[in-house]
Amino acid sequence: MTENKAPASGSILVVGGGISGLTTALEAAEVGYEVFLVEKNPYLGGRVAQLNQYFPKLCPPTCGLEINFRRIKDNPLIKVITLAEVTKVTGAPGDYDVQIKINPRYVNENCTACGECAKVCQTEIDSAYDFGMKKTKGAFLPFEMAFPARYVIAPEIIGTDDAARCKEACAYDAVDLDMQAKTLDLKVGAVVYATGWQPYDATKIDNLGFGQVPNIITNMMMERLAAPNGPTQGKILRPADQKAPETVAFVQCAGSRDENHLPYCSYICCMASLKQALYVREQYPEATIYIFYIDIRSPGQRYEKFYQKVKDDEKIIFVKGKVAAVEAAAGGAVTLTAENAVTGEKSSQTVDLAVLATGMQPTAAEAKLPGDITYTEDGFILNDFRKGGIFAAGCANKPADVVSSNQNATGMALKAIQTLAAK
Amino acid sequence: MSEAIMLDPDVGFIKDVRALGGGDLKKCYQCATCSVVCPISPENKPFPRKEMIAASWGLKDKLVSSADIWLCHNCGDCNTRCPRDAKPGDALGAIRAYAVSEYAGPKALGKLVRDKSKLPVLLAIPAAIFLVVGLLSNMVGLNWLNFSPAGGHEIWGHSYINNYLVDIIMIPTFFFAVGTFALGLKRFIADMHANALAEGKTKQEKIDPAGFVQAFIKIIPTIFKHQKFDECTENKSRSTAHMMVLYSFIGLFIVTNCFFFAEWILHIEGPYSQINPVKWLGNIAGIALIVGGLLLLKNRLAKTDSVSSYWDWYLVGMVLALGVTGMGTELLRLAGLYTPMAIVYFLHLMAIWCLFAFTPFSKLAHLVYRTVAMAYAEYSGRGF
Repeated sequence: MTENKAPASGSILVVGGGISGLTTALEAAEVGYEVFLVEKNPYLGGRVAQLNQYFPKLCPPTCGLEINFRRIKDNPLIKVITLAEVTKVTGAPGDYDVQIKINPRYVNENCTACGECAKVCQTEIDSAYDFGMKKTKGAFLPFEMAFPARYVIAPEIIGTDDAARCKEACAYDAVDLDMQAKTLDLKVGAVVYATGWQPYDATKIDNLGFGQVPNIITNMMMERLAAPNGPTQGKILRPADQKAPETVAFVQCAGSRDENHLPYCSYICCMASLKQALYVREQYPEATIYIFYIDIRSPGQRYEKFYQKVKDDEKIIFVKGKVAAVEAAAGGAVTLTAENAVTGEKSSQTVDLAVLATGMQPTAAEAKLPGDITYTEDGFILNDFRKGGIFAAGCANKPADVVSSNQNATGMALKAIQTLAAK
Repeated sequence: MSEAIMLDPDVGFIKDVRALGGGDLKKCYQCATCSVVCPISPENKPFPRKEMIAASWGLKDKLVSSADIWLCHNCGDCNTRCPRDAKPGDALGAIRAYAVSEYAGPKALGKLVRDKSKLPVLLAIPAAIFLVVGLLSNMVGLNWLNFSPAGGHEIWGHSYINNYLVDIIMIPTFFFAVGTFALGLKRFIADMHANALAEGKTKQEKIDPAGFVQAFIKIIPTIFKHQKFDECTENKSRSTAHMMVLYSFIGLFIVTNCFFFAEWILHIEGPYSQINPVKWLGNIAGIALIVGGLLLLKNRLAKTDSVSSYWDWYLVGMVLALGVTGMGTELLRLAGLYTPMAIVYFLHLMAIWCLFAFTPFSKLAHLVYRTVAMAYAEYSGRGF
């Protein structure tokens, strides 16, 4: 091929197909390395795919993801393996034996995403993509621009009449109900974990009432409510009664910077709430928004400017004080109590909808990953560059926004390449 | 921006508060969770968030004169919920300890009481006083100390250590404590009012003594029923132990006064028989004091999320020492073991002397300061 192709001497395993994993995979593949991109969901895009808009330019996720999907399609060096998890990593830098478990999709490459299977499927299941706020059919396309653009048959309907109906409806012989889980053994020279994060379980923050008091949602649920492909077609409505909220409160540091929950700052929740305040302002110009915070963290000049802009909005009221008590109020409203640390008054604010700015917990905090990995106390993967061979990119390494995740992911692509080159 | 304020931090104060149990004070990042989760904090200018920053900044005067540090009952709900593990409850306890030493004079004595290594010195004081005065009395023929009392009359503590000797030492000590408290309170009440005016925590311009007394009367049932204590969630169990100790002290105070009156006015000699109602009260209170003291000890040992300093242990030790030596004296007498009884009785007198002399300088001073602060909060209409 071209002379700028690097001397490949092994391949790279990238675990996680979110924005960081996509970046690592593409950066490595585009300079000539073979990459296996393993994703546990049936689609790529990770958390970014669930957002309504994302920083820095407040693009819809389709915007940034589409170009990455396009680059993957065009690059034969990237092998995408969805519905897969890495079960074993043994060996040393430059020479790893990896075992991957691939769960059945029950739909093969023949799928044209025509959607006939979903039409005939009667069973509905909770959509994890929409945090349970929406049901999908047992045969579903994860979202409109899912990559790979193939339907999935949920394991829940396997063995039922619904599964048989789906198979029958498929004109392309794409439904394969006999598909079994299989394992794949690979030899790779380097591993990059881009296993990302999950929203901290808000039910654990028992004084903030999530799951007990109606109309308290998390910030990620807010993204889904605001997203045009979300459960309400982008209309921000209260989950309990589908009412348009006239007042919305954002509760910052819900579980973050808290020794009882996540002791670290999750980096992006302040910006997420500022952004979401604007979602509400755009949809409901008359709505009043309260942001309860300890400190607003808007890292960097760009975010600081954004904060200033939101602060200048007179419909958005900032209250310096962490919400520490929550109770249900009349008519499905929520009463939040905080001490305003500026005035020294303890005050309660009743709002139609409360949004908990929950933080990021590394996926590895709850399910340890295979391989010789060192973690922080909180479950983030520490990059040991002296040992090398296995690296962490993006939010698997530390809480970050998309921009810093991509910077970090590019760096880890280089580290992986260096491992191969050093062999 | 708001107006600039010049802070005058007292660094020594910060160090002292941290040493007295507020070691995690500086972890606080002012999120104000504590003020909201506190079950007894008022709506207007709630504690302890503002105390945490004032302490971090070394604003001693603002804190020692504040009634709010005394309204805190160390429920511990703030400690549990604190996202930084800064232990606001412990910090307030430490600030209270500091405030006690600010208002009790002479301050040098306060320093001794706060210092663990000075405990033997403090205990030696009453021993020396009793021995010196006793031996002097023997030299002038009063023979208030008798090392081998003759039989004939029923043998009890008085046979060894004459009640004249006891009272001639105890009564001035008691009034020393009362005087110390009076002087401390005079300053404390004035400071507390000035602080409340400055921080907008009071509806009253001036302290009207009659109104203040009425407020005081109004809060007595609250104290006796431990109503504030019972609002706590985390440390609710402490309420029982505290109540037992408080009622025992009251019971024993009544018994002591009955005895004093009977002996010097009615000339009825002890020891009382076991069927005497005063004896019943004394026995019940004595047992309750030991049980309450043991419960205090148990609660403190079980508390892993909060700091117990010498300041706290001193009080637990004092309660147990009083109870054990008091009941010990009685049991040894009933068992006819007179020499051991005399030794334990001597120790009991030492403990009582320490109780009187050192209370204004020790944690037990909260009895006075918290009561007055609660009365003031009631008077000032703070809704506490």
